[in-house]
Amino acid sequence: MPPKSKAAPKPKGADSSKQPTLTPSTSNTTPAVPATVAARSQLRYDDSRPHDAARLKAGLTGLPRDEQAAWISARFARTPAARTRLPPKAQRELWRQVNEASLPVRALRGGTKGSSWGRDRNGLDVGGYSVERFDEREARRARLTCLEVASRGFRERRERERKGLRDPATGEAVFVSEGEVDAERVRRGEMADLRRELYGTVQGSFALDPEWDDVIPIPQDEPEAALAAIAYPADYDEAISYLRAVMLKKEYSQRCLRLTETIIEMNPAHYTVWLYRASNVFALKLPIADELEWLNQVAFANLKNYQIWHHRHLLVDNLYPALAEKPDELARFAAAERDFLTQILVQDTKNYHVWSYRSYLVGKLGVWGSPEELKSIEGLIDDDVRNNSAWSHRFFLVFSDPAHTTPGLVATEPDPAVPQDITSREVEYAKEKISLAPQNQSPWNYLKGVLVKGRQKLSSVEEFTGGFVKGLGNKDGSEDVQSTHALDLLAEIYAEKGDKEKADLCLRRLGEKWDRIRVGYWEWRRKCLEEA
Amino acid sequence: MADEVEPSLDIPRHLKYWKMCLRSPLPSLYQSNEGNRMALAYFIINSITILTPFQPVPRADGTIPTPLIAPGERRQLREWVLSHRHPSGGFSGTSSLVFPLHGYEEWDFETGTSSREHLGLANITATLFALQLLVLLSDDETPEAAFRGVDRVQTLRWLSRLQREDGSFGEVLKMLPDHGWFIGGGYDMRYCYIAASIRWILRGDVNEGEPGWVEDFDTGALAQYIISSQTYDGGFAGSSKEEPHAGYAYCAIGALSLLDRPLEDSSASHPSKILNSGIRNMPGLIHWLASRQFNYLEPGQHDDDYDSDEDEVNFVLPRSLADLSLEKNQRYIGYNGRCNKVADTCYSWWVGAALANLGREGLVEHAPARRFLLEKMQHRIGGFGKKPGNPPDLYHACFGLCILAVMGEEGLNQLDSALALPVEMVRRIEKARTALLSREGENGTAGRLAKDIVGIGLGLRDEKPGWLTAAGG
Repeated sequence: MPPKSKAAPKPKGADSSKQPTLTPSTSNTTPAVPATVAARSQLRYDDSRPHDAARLKAGLTGLPRDEQAAWISARFARTPAARTRLPPKAQRELWRQVNEASLPVRALRGGTKGSSWGRDRNGLDVGGYSVERFDEREARRARLTCLEVASRGFRERRERERKGLRDPATGEAVFVSEGEVDAERVRRGEMADLRRELYGTVQGSFALDPEWDDVIPIPQDEPEAALAAIAYPADYDEAISYLRAVMLKKEYSQRCLRLTETIIEMNPAHYTVWLYRASNVFALKLPIADELEWLNQVAFANLKNYQIWHHRHLLVDNLYPALAEKPDELARFAAAERDFLTQILVQDTKNYHVWSYRSYLVGKLGVWGSPEELKSIEGLIDDDVRNNSAWSHRFFLVFSDPAHTTPGLVATEPDPAVPQDITSREVEYAKEKISLAPQNQSPWNYLKGVLVKGRQKLSSVEEFTGGFVKGLGNKDGSEDVQSTHALDLLAEIYAEKGDKEKADLCLRRLGEKWDRIRVGYWEWRRKCLEEA
Repeated sequence: MADEVEPSLDIPRHLKYWKMCLRSPLPSLYQSNEGNRMALAYFIINSITILTPFQPVPRADGTIPTPLIAPGERRQLREWVLSHRHPSGGFSGTSSLVFPLHGYEEWDFETGTSSREHLGLANITATLFALQLLVLLSDDETPEAAFRGVDRVQTLRWLSRLQREDGSFGEVLKMLPDHGWFIGGGYDMRYCYIAASIRWILRGDVNEGEPGWVEDFDTGALAQYIISSQTYDGGFAGSSKEEPHAGYAYCAIGALSLLDRPLEDSSASHPSKILNSGIRNMPGLIHWLASRQFNYLEPGQHDDDYDSDEDEVNFVLPRSLADLSLEKNQRYIGYNGRCNKVADTCYSWWVGAALANLGREGLVEHAPARRFLLEKMQHRIGGFGKKPGNPPDLYHACFGLCILAVMGEEGLNQLDSALALPVEMVRRIEKARTALLSREGENGTAGRLAKDIVGIGLGLRDEKPGWLTAAGG
């Protein structure tokens, strides 16, 4: 060891004047103020190696003699292996020169060229930070480390509590209070903020929640060559990896229920999540009414989704046995469901899944004959006479009612059990709606369906149907057709009566003029008529 | 009209669209389809296959264009499909439901048995699409190996368990706490069609007692369920209680006709006894299908009736019927899926293909239907959208191509309208089924398993190890 060693190299005003690039100040008294932390390190490095930067530029012989001597002394001073080979006298001379010139006896290693400061969340080099900014960043990093230590302590306590282990310091049983869990939640929030600010890493909400600490998520493992990968957001990915983990454990709990809710919010079309949700409801024996209530809100937010309706179907199947014993409750439930469906259908009048559920419900609760149900459908047809979904539901209500129909018949088959008055009522209803919009196919289909079901001859509506067709076949321009569907039905009526010629005229005029886009179909009908 | 130039299908542009779908992750717009990735995969690979000639056409300079999916990549993609196999039979719908292998084992150590409830769910729709993909991605040299790695027996047994008492099918089988086995999914004609398709693809003609025999599901009950779902206006609904829908009509016709479709050299419109004598009101069905044709009028042509509601944008009504009979209105014909609804690309397929399956494609005019797709639904970047002016999506882009192929579009491979696959691929199914059955016949279950494992290895490496060749394998 040298007799007098300096703890840290001191910047020398006289020397630093030879380093123009890195030291903005040439004053002898004020130390140089580096603009960035990288510059500060460079400065420190250069200060520990006097004249080295100049030597690298100009070569040793290019330096003034005194600087040459100083460089050589410094070099020997900091290199014991070389120094100890000098004769004792030379060594003494060396230390004298070192002391006189206050030369550093140690140098910083490595240089700063290749050193990496890392990048911040914006991809900027941290080395380019000002000293103040760097210190601030370091303070945050220190804060994050403290929080991480505290958080690890929390997890360990939790683990001990779960395993029933004692605290090694106190020997007492470990109990983690609600307050500690809340504090940890706050702590992780701060940690997540710090990580985002420092490194730009975003942490999922499950990883931050102490409630999920005991679940190790199972991320998807997908081969390189895969089809139809979807660029979905990271939070969806995280939630699915927790779903996989709890499904693997076959866990049924309140938190799993909440997990399914989170995933359903992001992707209501995921059928497995719905079935897993149902499993939770059944395993935890939760009140089905509560689940239905929750489902109402989800349904309003996701009108086009149909898994919601399958879930509802399953819930009602499970609720029904209890309802069936209490007619009052059953009636109340039917009314509440009807109100809900009415509200949904106001927003999306032809939603197939809602209508499917509605017809299921009618069958399940046995409310075919309910005047309210029929009235509700009439209201929808009054709003939009072209709503074919409503027409279909009406046919189901009237002609599948076990009170006055034969079970098991196909809709297109005549049913001897249907009373005459019901057939007449439905025929009149269809006629009334046809008059409002003669080119609307829905009530025409309905009319024909009712006549077939009720074993009425099609010709019973010949006069009414003929009212929409004037001067058929006239070549003087007086031919007028208000409804192609009327002309279509007339063709069938004439065929039924055996008047092939008139039936053929109807079909021919449909293809020639009134419904040309279906000419191929009308020609086929003419051929069938001929062959009949 | 005749002097107007008919539009043409820009095949390279469609291929470019599909190449994008094949190579880059799909936008987050598809997130709601995360559970049905196998379906999306089918749309992509099926469309590329329809667009790619089986015999490569040399370029002007005599060079042969390289296929979009090279043989090595086809093998890798097959592996991806096979990775969705479920231990209880069938395939899972998405990679996020494929669990680490240990997750499938649930041993009860007291009794030494597995509880048989496996994790994740095989899905009936995904199973059909996976089988179709295995054929679409099969090796051109050895197409009969397409079903290597498929557990035919387990899959058919699982399929039978998806049938409900009323004859219909659900999509998944799940053990619910306190409820036992539950057949999930709605009462949906699609699952009935898919069940009939999987049965046609895998079952083959095996007599009871012979190796490879699996008990059939109740085909009579399925046919009865379908037949009784015909509605008063002639169409078909998801069940007998609902509104008819073109997609369900296609499925009802397809399912009935697949139940007695011949196993070899068969065509989509074979004279099916179950279909033709089963459907109670065939004229009504044809009437209903023909009624789905929709005269597309340009919005603005009849401003008085123009409604800004999104559902009504191409539902412009004429002032009077006489207006419609004008020549210019016959130019574009779209199809709707239900009475009084608007036209949509996919219904051109569901209705057009349903008529083709009935052998009645001649009842509709192809030229205006084609013009509607090419001029109104086709998008600048390739593919087809749902409605005029919409950006393309996988589903509509695939079925737009499918119906054009059924209508005989030049440059597209001929399509089987009942299985929604190129006819060449249907021939491959027939070969692969025969190969699968003969392997089972030769080896029994143990031998089959061993051979399957070797088969998977070969599929991965595309080479036979020396010891196997030496052993005569």
